[in-house]
Amino acid sequence: MGPDGVPSQSVPWRKVLWERQPFPDNYVDQRFLEELRRNEGIRQYRYWAVVKEAGFVGQQLSCVAIFITLWLYMEQGLLSPETLLWTSLSCALPGYGLYQVLTAQTESCSESRTHLADSQSAVLFLSFTFGFSPVLKTLTESVSTDTVYAMSALMLLAHLLSFPYAHPSPPGSLSLNAALFASVCLASRLPGALHTFAMLTCALLVFALWPCLLQRLRENAPGHFTGACVGVCVGGVGGLGSQSPGGAMLLSLALVSVTLICPLLLVSLQRHKDNIQGPWDEAEIQEDLSRFLH
Amino acid sequence: MEDESFCNISGKPISLDCQSHSSFCREFTVSTPKISIGKVMVYTCSVWLFAYTVFFFTQNTAVLSSAILITLVGMMLHIHFVKVDHESLLVIGSLGIQVSSSYASGREVTTFIEMSKIKDIVINEAVYLHQIIYYLCVLLRDPSEPHGVSSVVTLFQSSKPRLNCLVKIYKSCQEILSTCK
Amino acid sequence: MGQRKKVGAVKTSSSENDTGEASKVSPKHNICMVSDFFYPNMGGVESHIYQLSQCLIEKGHKVVIATHAYGRRKGVRYLTNGLKVYYLPLQVMYNQSTATTCFHSLPLLRCVFVRERITVVHAHSSFSAMAHDALFHAKTMGLNTVFTDHSLFGFADVSSVLTNKLLTVSLCDTNHIVCVSYTSKENTVLRAALNPEIVSVIPNAVDPTDFTPDPSQRPTDRITIVVISRLVYRKGIDLLGGIIPELCLKHPDLHFLIGGEGPKRIVLEEVREKYQLHDRVRLLGALEHKDVRGVLVQGHIFLNTSLTEAFCMAIVEGASCGLQVVSTRVGGIPEVLPEDLITLCEPTVSSLCKGLEKVIAKQRSGSFPSPNSTHARVKNLYTWRNVAERTEKVYDRVAGEEVLPLEKRLWRLRSHCGPVAGSIFAFVAVLDFLFLLLLQWLVPDRHMDFAVDATGPNGLWVKKRQKSEPGC
Repeated sequence: MGPDGVPSQSVPWRKVLWERQPFPDNYVDQRFLEELRRNEGIRQYRYWAVVKEAGFVGQQLSCVAIFITLWLYMEQGLLSPETLLWTSLSCALPGYGLYQVLTAQTESCSESRTHLADSQSAVLFLSFTFGFSPVLKTLTESVSTDTVYAMSALMLLAHLLSFPYAHPSPPGSLSLNAALFASVCLASRLPGALHTFAMLTCALLVFALWPCLLQRLRENAPGHFTGACVGVCVGGVGGLGSQSPGGAMLLSLALVSVTLICPLLLVSLQRHKDNIQGPWDEAEIQEDLSRFLH
Repeated sequence: MEDESFCNISGKPISLDCQSHSSFCREFTVSTPKISIGKVMVYTCSVWLFAYTVFFFTQNTAVLSSAILITLVGMMLHIHFVKVDHESLLVIGSLGIQVSSSYASGREVTTFIEMSKIKDIVINEAVYLHQIIYYLCVLLRDPSEPHGVSSVVTLFQSSKPRLNCLVKIYKSCQEILSTCK
Repeated sequence: MGQRKKVGAVKTSSSENDTGEASKVSPKHNICMVSDFFYPNMGGVESHIYQLSQCLIEKGHKVVIATHAYGRRKGVRYLTNGLKVYYLPLQVMYNQSTATTCFHSLPLLRCVFVRERITVVHAHSSFSAMAHDALFHAKTMGLNTVFTDHSLFGFADVSSVLTNKLLTVSLCDTNHIVCVSYTSKENTVLRAALNPEIVSVIPNAVDPTDFTPDPSQRPTDRITIVVISRLVYRKGIDLLGGIIPELCLKHPDLHFLIGGEGPKRIVLEEVREKYQLHDRVRLLGALEHKDVRGVLVQGHIFLNTSLTEAFCMAIVEGASCGLQVVSTRVGGIPEVLPEDLITLCEPTVSSLCKGLEKVIAKQRSGSFPSPNSTHARVKNLYTWRNVAERTEKVYDRVAGEEVLPLEKRLWRLRSHCGPVAGSIFAFVAVLDFLFLLLLQWLVPDRHMDFAVDATGPNGLWVKKRQKSEPGC
């Protein structure tokens, strides 16, 4: 029964080892690989659905751009900290109201935090930031400005890369920390302590609270979600354009490639996907076995 | 008295000299070729050339004198501790085995193993650097434990003869060992 | 094991020519088995290599084994019947597998191949870096190569994509590949993009004399389910943790006997604790191979919950001891035993419980054949002699094939492994060849002593044994 024996076609080949069959060991039957399955349970992507999801990435990119624009205005003294604070407050309050409305739609309020707890943490954060803003202002005085800028750029990039786009509420700790670190770095280069305070409050609004609200929008009002994304993108490009047209060009290029070209690439490459499955795959345990233990 | 030429494991010629003093006393001497004057010249010249290059750049005469010192001391150490001229194995039935190696300087290291401690002489295989080689060794036993092997003494460690030479020595040794046991 | 042998009084002249009078019957080969996995390490690959070598020696071939040094076990050792093992001092990196640089093992492996006058290099296990190195060097030296794959691999994750690429490179110019089951063959053919004609299926074997039934050891007042496996995720121990409480609650006379050790032991201990089954679920810990039979004969049903398995020797051992086998339907398991000896289930708790209940009911009604009749059926299914015979045919075929010369090998690598990996490994192959030339210049083949044969046509141990009595 070694390789290249004489096969007799009288008996059909069977895929069993316990029976000595009149076939050579290297015999290849027609049934070879018949249990091979290709691309089982594959997800077919539709272009516009992917674009919609990718819009979230573009929106986050624009958020960073908006934040930088605000900082540029502050640094040049074109925007006073008081104005920024009042604008932030006037954005935060309707946003909070909207968030509450959207949350109430989906779940009972038993699990969610009370308004008292929310306002408590807001007051706590604001008072601490206000108290420490002189310290934060002088924190990076001994560091050269170039280093601070490079650090901020790196941290904002880290924020964008590590942002949990699939489940952005609450933002991942790494991305949030990177963003706050970058904003502390940038805020410390501003002229006054109040500037620093205003900048940090704004950073909290943009990087921590806005993704939460946007996630609610995505869940409960998909139409408005798209609108919000487009709005943020336009705002980002426009804002940056008023300060540096070149930057605005780059941002719009990045937005186009992320939201339009990358999805196109994904959908077109989908045809080439060749995933093979067969009896050799490790079986997956589908059931929940923890009920036996707990 | 006979003198045969063999090769060692790196292909250098060695000579085996078997002297039969009596039926139960034989001496095997494996001699390696002497240091060639050419080799000494090459080593000396390369050290001196290197020293001269260093001197050329540093203009420090201490480099030159230390180079002379290094070559002299190196040569002395080499012929006194490294270069083995010949190794011999003297087997005297009923008495024991004497293993000696003479260095090129004339220094001789001799050890004697008495018969009661010898379990056997065998050819064994070992991994030596990136090669696998045969070697001849004496198996020693502890008198208190007659069936175990307590340690191993390697023979002809520096000349490293090849298998055909080892087999010849082995057979002769076994003849004597078998008569006295 | 590990006994040193003196090889002094030999007829070196007679061992010089290796095609003796035996060449009339069938050619005898000088085979070198290479794998990182060999005794004193324990496992399926290790015993496969040992048993196969022993039977090939019995058939008159010369077999040596090359593996890496295990602790203080270095150098050359002889096992039963003159099986020579080289424990080469190569650095172990992870999980008993050596580190690979593609080059550093060449001097020693070349020395082994030259001095033992090897004609066929047989590498084992795709997890062994040394096996792949040996294949690579053997091809550089112009020796015929055979590879045995013992495991199954997926295609989905990054690590398997990388290892599959390496396997493609390693096997693209290997003369013949052996797999242990048809499923394993399909898997290997897909992974390494091979021509299926050069892949043979030769199952593993079990020594039937080691696994005989003994019904007197079975307790009559209860039904015992035996599980013998390493307690790891891949063996489906989590499923076992679900089966135990489910069945123990329904059948008060059901007992579990679990042999083996591993990180998932904690799951079983938790289950035992929670359902208070200390007297009914016994965890025996790691078992030595010789103790396995003693555990098997105490049971009625053998349960295997593996999630992936290329062949599964354990179920054959269980059936050989006369137990009813219940197993998951994964990998090559459906090919191993005839339908009436095994109950196949899906890898879920409910399916396995259903299958076990059916077997328990049949066991109670006594409608199963006796253990001895099961043993009689199983004992001739998988024997090492048969494996050796079929492997011998592979060697005969391989010996007649040409080993690709360097330029064809480079071409094959480039055309078969893709432009990037192919080019890289073609470059490595050229370097390996240059390194070999350097070594041949430093230590020419004629300065190496041919080793004295212990096995094979001129083997000294074979002659010694022929005087006494033959046996495998």
